[in-house]
Amino acid sequence: MKKNPYKVLGIKEGASYDEIKRAYRELVKKYHPDRYRDNPLSDLAEEKMREINEAYETLMKNAGGAYQYQESYDQSYENSGSYKSSYSQQSQNQNQYQYQYQDESDLEYRIRNYINMGNLNEAQKLLDKMRNKGASWYYLQGLVFLRRGWYDRGFTNIQKAVNMDPSNFEYRNTLNNLHQQSAGYRQNYYYRNTYYRDPDMCNLCINLWCADSLCECLGGDLIGCC
Amino acid sequence: MFGYVEPDKPELKMREFEVFRGYYCSLCKTIGRNYGQLARLSLNYDLTFLYLLLDSLNSELVKGKSERCLVHPLKKRFVIFSNIITEYAAAMNIILTYYNLKDKWQDEKNIAGGTGYIALKLAYKKARKKYPEKCEAIEKYLAELNALEKSGCEIIDEAAEPFASIMRELFQFEHIEDDVQNKALGWMGYNLGRWIYILDAYDDIEKDVKEHNFNPILRQYQYNNDITAFKEKVKEPVNFSLTYSLSEVEKAYSLLNIEKNKGLLDNIIYSGLIVKTDKVLQGRGRENEEKSIQGPGH
Repeated sequence: MKKNPYKVLGIKEGASYDEIKRAYRELVKKYHPDRYRDNPLSDLAEEKMREINEAYETLMKNAGGAYQYQESYDQSYENSGSYKSSYSQQSQNQNQYQYQYQDESDLEYRIRNYINMGNLNEAQKLLDKMRNKGASWYYLQGLVFLRRGWYDRGFTNIQKAVNMDPSNFEYRNTLNNLHQQSAGYRQNYYYRNTYYRDPDMCNLCINLWCADSLCECLGGDLIGCC
Repeated sequence: MFGYVEPDKPELKMREFEVFRGYYCSLCKTIGRNYGQLARLSLNYDLTFLYLLLDSLNSELVKGKSERCLVHPLKKRFVIFSNIITEYAAAMNIILTYYNLKDKWQDEKNIAGGTGYIALKLAYKKARKKYPEKCEAIEKYLAELNALEKSGCEIIDEAAEPFASIMRELFQFEHIEDDVQNKALGWMGYNLGRWIYILDAYDDIEKDVKEHNFNPILRQYQYNNDITAFKEKVKEPVNFSLTYSLSEVEKAYSLLNIEKNKGLLDNIIYSGLIVKTDKVLQGRGRENEEKSIQGPGH
C-alpha cells in the first residue's frame, strides 16, 4: 500500500506549495546519505529517502493546476532531479573507487566489499592478515571500528591514516565527517533551545551593573544603593 | 542502569511533563503490583524512557486516570494505563537492578547492595520466568563484562560493548514485528547503552580512584595521580565519543515511526541527553541523584 504523501512529509493535507517544499528540504537534510555514511542503518535511510522523493513528486504533480504552481513545479522538479543526480554521482564515485581498488591489492578491495556489506567479522579477519600496515590499513580498520560502534578507536585510526597520508582526500573527508556529525548533533540542540541566546536573569543583572558603573563614571547614578 | 536518560525539564511543555510523569507512575505502579512494594524503589529513568519509546511506536491514544499512591498519598496523579510494554519494562527494570545489586554485593561487599539483592531475589525469579531468553542474553553479556573487568581492559570501546549490547537486547522488544523498526531500535539501544556506560565511567573517576575500582577511562589513558589534570586530559576524547554516540542515537531515532509523544521524545533525544552529557563533563552529574529515586516532580 502506498503511504499518504502528506504523512510522509509530515505536513497537513492541503499544505501550500512553500510548506511542502520546506518540509521536503528539511527531510532531505535529515536523511541525506552523507549523514548515514559508515552507519549500519544506511539502507533504511535510503529507503526513507526514496519514500520522501516519491511523496514529494506526487504532491508536486497534483499541485500543478494554477499557472504559478506549474512554473514552480517545473523548477522544483529540476531541483529534485539534482538530488537524484547527486545520488547517481555518488554511486559513480563508488564505482570509481572500486575501479581504483583493483590496482591496489586485492585484499583491500575485498575488505571494502565486506565493510559495505556489513560483514565486519570477515573484514576484520582480512585486516588481521595484512602485514603491511600503511595509511590505508589504518583507514579501513577505522571504518570497521566505526561500523561496530567503537567510535573512540575508529576516530584514532582514521586520524592516524590522515597523519600518515595527509594528501588523501577520502581519509580527510571521513575525518571531517566525524567531526561534523558530532558538531551537528550539538548544533541542533543550540538551535532548538532558544533560551541560550535570549538574555536571562544573570545577564540582566550584569547588564544593570554595567549600566550603573557607566553612569557612575559619568557622574550620575542608575541604582542608588551601589 | 544508571538513570541518565531524562528530559530537559525547562524546555518541556507542561502537558509533556504530565505525560512523562504518567508513564513514570504507570511503570512504578506496575512494578509494585507485579513484584511487591519494595521493588518500586528500583525504578529508574532509563527504563521509563524505554517504556515511553516503545509505547510511542503504536498509534493507540495515550489514556490514563488520576490516582493516588503510597508515595504521594495526598495528591492524585495522572497514571497511564498499563499494557504489555509496561509489563516488559517493569520486568527488565527488576532484572537489571537485581544484577546490578548482586554485582555490587559481590565486588564491594556493599551492605545496601547486599540487602537489596536478597530482597529482590523473588521478584527477579518471577521476572526471569516471563522473559527467559532476554535474561540469558543479558547474563552472557554480564559475564563478558566481568571478564573484561578482571583482565583490566584498556580499551574504552571494548569495555562499553557488553552494556551497549544489553541495551540493544532490551530495545528489541519481541512484540514489535517490523524488522526495519527493530533494526533501528537495536542500533539506538546499542548507542544509548554505550553513552550511559562511558558517561557513568567518567562520572565515577574520583570514586574509582579512591576505591581502586576498575574504570576503563583510567586504564586507557593511564591515570597518573592527579585527578584534575587527568580529567582535563581525557575530556576532549570522551566528549567526542559521547557526542558521536548520541548522534547515532539520533539517526536511529529519526528512522522510527513515532506515532505519538513526539515532542516529549524529541526533547529527550535532542536536549535531555546532551544537557546530561555536559553536566557530567562539568562534574555536576550527581546533582539529581535523589530525585531519580523518588521520581519526577519533587
